Amino acid sequence: MTDFPTQFRLIRQLIFSERMRYACALTALIAGTLLIYLIPLVPQAVLDVVFNDDPDKASGISRGVIEFLGGIEEVGSQLWRPALLIGFLALAAGFCVHLRQRFAARAAQNIARRMRSGIYDHVQKLPCRTHETLESGDLLQRCSSDVDTVSLFLSEQITMIGRAFAMLLVPLPLMFALDWRMAAISLILVVPISVFSYTFFNRMRTRFLEKEKAEARLTATVNENLNGVRVVRSFARQSFESARFDEHNATHRNRDNDLYRLMARFWSLSDALCFCQQGLVIGFGLWWLTQGSLEIGTFYFFISVVNMFLWPVRMLGRILAEFGKALVAVGRIEEVLERPAESSPGDPYQPDGLDGSITFENVSLHHGELPVLDGIDFKIDPGETIALIGPAGCGKTTIVDLLLRLHDPDDGEISIGDVAIGRMERGYVRSRIAAVMQQPFLYSRSIRDNIAITRPDLENDPIEAAAIDACIHDSIKSFDQGYETMVGERGLTLSGGQRQRVAIARALIQRPDILILDDALSAVDTRTEHQILSAIERRHGRQTTILVAHRLSTIRTADRILVLEAGKVTQQGTHEELIDQPGLYRRIWTIQSDLETDDQAETGGAG
Amino acid sequence: MNPDHGHDDERSGAIDLRLWMNFIKHLKPHRRMAFTMCGAGFGLAIIEASLPPLTGFMIDEALEQGVSNRLLTMGGIFMVMMMLFAFTVWLFIKAAGALATGVAYDLRNGCFQRLQELPFSFFDVRPTGWLVTRVTSDCAKVSDRMPWVLLDIFWGSTMLIGICTAMMIIDIRLALWTMAIVPPLVVASWVFKRRMLASSRDMRRTNSAITASFSESINGIRTTKSLNRESRNLGEFDQLADTMRGHSMRNALQAAVFLPIVAVLGSVGVGIALWKGGVQLETGTGLSIGMLIAFMEYAILFSMPIQELSARLADLQSAQAAAERVQGLLEEVPAIRDSPEVLARLEENSDLKGPPDGGEQVIETIEFRGIRFHYKPEEPILEDFDLTVRKGESIALVGPTGGGKSTIVNLAARFYEPNEGQVLINGVDFRERSLQWWQAQFGIVQQVPHLFSGTIMENIRYGRLEADDLDVLDAARQAGAHDFIERLDDGYEHDVGEGGELLSTGQRQLISLARALLADPQIFVMDEATSSIDTETETLIQEAIDRVMTGRLSFVIAHRLSTIRDADRIIFIEAGRILEDGTHDDLMRANGRYAELYAGQFTGA
Repeated sequence: MTDFPTQFRLIRQLIFSERMRYACALTALIAGTLLIYLIPLVPQAVLDVVFNDDPDKASGISRGVIEFLGGIEEVGSQLWRPALLIGFLALAAGFCVHLRQRFAARAAQNIARRMRSGIYDHVQKLPCRTHETLESGDLLQRCSSDVDTVSLFLSEQITMIGRAFAMLLVPLPLMFALDWRMAAISLILVVPISVFSYTFFNRMRTRFLEKEKAEARLTATVNENLNGVRVVRSFARQSFESARFDEHNATHRNRDNDLYRLMARFWSLSDALCFCQQGLVIGFGLWWLTQGSLEIGTFYFFISVVNMFLWPVRMLGRILAEFGKALVAVGRIEEVLERPAESSPGDPYQPDGLDGSITFENVSLHHGELPVLDGIDFKIDPGETIALIGPAGCGKTTIVDLLLRLHDPDDGEISIGDVAIGRMERGYVRSRIAAVMQQPFLYSRSIRDNIAITRPDLENDPIEAAAIDACIHDSIKSFDQGYETMVGERGLTLSGGQRQRVAIARALIQRPDILILDDALSAVDTRTEHQILSAIERRHGRQTTILVAHRLSTIRTADRILVLEAGKVTQQGTHEELIDQPGLYRRIWTIQSDLETDDQAETGGAG
Repeated sequence: MNPDHGHDDERSGAIDLRLWMNFIKHLKPHRRMAFTMCGAGFGLAIIEASLPPLTGFMIDEALEQGVSNRLLTMGGIFMVMMMLFAFTVWLFIKAAGALATGVAYDLRNGCFQRLQELPFSFFDVRPTGWLVTRVTSDCAKVSDRMPWVLLDIFWGSTMLIGICTAMMIIDIRLALWTMAIVPPLVVASWVFKRRMLASSRDMRRTNSAITASFSESINGIRTTKSLNRESRNLGEFDQLADTMRGHSMRNALQAAVFLPIVAVLGSVGVGIALWKGGVQLETGTGLSIGMLIAFMEYAILFSMPIQELSARLADLQSAQAAAERVQGLLEEVPAIRDSPEVLARLEENSDLKGPPDGGEQVIETIEFRGIRFHYKPEEPILEDFDLTVRKGESIALVGPTGGGKSTIVNLAARFYEPNEGQVLINGVDFRERSLQWWQAQFGIVQQVPHLFSGTIMENIRYGRLEADDLDVLDAARQAGAHDFIERLDDGYEHDVGEGGELLSTGQRQLISLARALLADPQIFVMDEATSSIDTETETLIQEAIDRVMTGRLSFVIAHRLSTIRDADRIIFIEAGRILEDGTHDDLMRANGRYAELYAGQFTGA
């Protein structure tokens, strides 16, 4: 957790960036508040001066108001005059309120807009390493609900804090000028009420967190039950599941109810406190009224005004308590923004083209203490097809990540087309490579847009040609909306194999120097896999291809096979060479032949 | 049947009174709380409406008589009313809370219960996330709002009527003048609350699109980077952020117009009361200063109940879609359930040993007879399907994807019912047996098995809840899972993560095998994994399947030829029909589709 001062600094910076609008809002706030308090002053003056047997007892302010309206006689015979003044004051006050809200909202929304864009930009620029260490749900929460909290704070809570102070401070001179005794009485309980509401809402926050936790647990329970519906049914565990749910449901209800009870206590107690304040004003007012030392209009003024500032004071505690929430949210956002973005070379070199040869020279990468790659050396010629094989965790995917500059090596040098990739912009290196991952990610847009995502201006023909080569065209055609079918989070759920094939079509569109298939055909049956691979072969041209796979049937067609074990290249050669050597490759070959691991059974008649 | 995906489709249409009257029945179990709450709301309104004249009386008394006994009595009454006020506030919040949380609890339990009964066909067309939202936020939305709507209807209308009556009694002419602000207040409240409802709906919708966009940028970060999409993504996001700012501004501006209007109308009321009341005061028609002050206070008070009532109506409107969905789920009748006859038998036999429906316990045969089945009418899956399987037989289901292999298993377990034809257990239609009993006879290992978050121990024990630790260990040994579990940091106490995500597919299969073994089912179903499983785990699973299948009636949706060869019978299914049926040797001799497939194993590679 960052220190509070830095969070204040960020909030100050955010507010400062819209200082003109906030200044306008502040001016409108003060003017509006003043006008609002002038309204009860009008009936006060009428009561004290016009309806009074002894107008001389009235205060100077009251006489001033009546003078402004044309004098006692005029006002007395034309009572619509004060009514009209009230109307004008109310309209002017209303206009100020409107201006204040308009400026404050514009300022806050501008800040929120910039904050969202800024954090989105930064999240995209964070290195993959950073993304791996951050929990994605937590990061998402920082980007969405924490930003919401801060923007709510900036748009509503800040203006409410301002309003509470203005409502309390602006009328003070007026109140003391009218009657200092009544003014003092009116303020007696202001501090206790605000302290009470602040401590209360602070306590409320912990209860609120408990409630949220109970709610999250309940959601997780439902989610798991529904995802495991087959398991529940086949063990006939419905009543067990219902009992488990009921337990969480009851906890949720009880935590919720705790909150309501607390609210009931707060509102009734603070109502009682406010009434005490009002009672004091009325009691003392009536006493002085009977004594003849207080005028009826002034009395009216004070009972109206007490109501006006008690409400914001009562809310002040709540807002101050929420302020803590906003500070935490700002801190969490700042933690993300403080993470360094991907580095870029000071003076990037951008060659006109790369020839697709790849060199790894003594490349090492550590994950914490553990070496993932341990001094790897190899060279791939332009246009060559290379297969990588090895047990899980041996570093195959890491090699792909290093080539794409998603990670940077701790040691050693990687070159493409004889240029060290560290000297080029990451974006440039990536634009030369098309990579398909084992669990490819599709964007929530149409299949067409997904395939053409790197070249949105492409015509239909090349897109369909790529889909045909990736053996996905027929499946797409079978969807109701064909290529316009939406996929991803808010669309159709494609099977793993379909996703992989769409991703392959997407990669084929790119016409890269280097094509990488990182276990990208694992969910595709063998027959289709062969079709796709031979289509890639036909398109081939001068592109270098790297295949990462488990199936030897995929791998054996490569020009050369690299065997990786524990971050080292232990064997390399063609299929025939490798099965003649003792080593991992031959062991896998034997086991796979024995087990006959194959899903040919799936495809026996599919074609 | 076509659920929207996560979108909150709040309607802006009229309030559906029938739906809400129907919902009132959910209050029935909590009627004491409901009555308390409404009573408190009623009392509160009476107190609030009578405070201004009371203050007025006190002023008049003080001005005319000075400190009199009557003034002191009125002061006492005033104090008592304040305390009563605080008490009613406490009472109604507490009652409304108990009501809201109680109803929420009932609705959630009802929905969850219903979800336990609904057949798979219900889940096929509805994403899990969508259903979770029904149980959580929809139930909350409805139950949070209902009590307040009810309360505010009582409180608000009592207060309005109270204020009007009090004013009429004091001075009917002045009352009518002051009430002139009511019609514009009502119109303004109604118009603006509706508009603000619409703009806040747009805000929420855009906000969830923004969240989705963030989620995509986080989850797809590798793809985005490798496709160089960063700046285009940012451009699209900026448009979304602009839309969000637009909607938020619209909403804020609506509020910035509405609230001043309400305040101005209140002040206009004060002005009217001062003007017309002042004239009466001067001409001496019986209005006192105290009552004039009371009128001016009433003019301010008016806006409160009107604003609250229109806000509650808007709430009701925004919760309507949620209410419809909750009601729809509660009323959904499970398409597959025990028939009345079976239920009657279950009732009779509740204290007997053996199957609760009084039928035979030991399953000798399962027979599919003349089955036709489809998930969607335009895509028939099985046509005239016949198959008989006997106790002790292991069946390998082989054939192309979409041919109907998993459907056969789904029908056997009565996860679906055939559109035509019968499934017979020992010659008895399975609809005449208890659904729960029948499904409990199955042990199913899915392709990617689902585990519940918790420890490995808890997950295996799910197969038989009363099993002790030794039984669990024994089952794990039989399933070949024991060794890998022991190698984990916390052994059997190892946390498997949500859905088992912390374990590999192969490990999950081993645990799910152990879980099935512990249950000791009569029928065993295995869907072999197609995804890559490391070679060592593969061998373990293979051995365990052999052990599990012996002596049981088993179906394996097989992808590996070694499993297939070990099965007693191989059924080759294509396009919903059995093309070949026999042992490995039989089918090889027949030299048909199976033989072709078998040969393909070595030529295709």
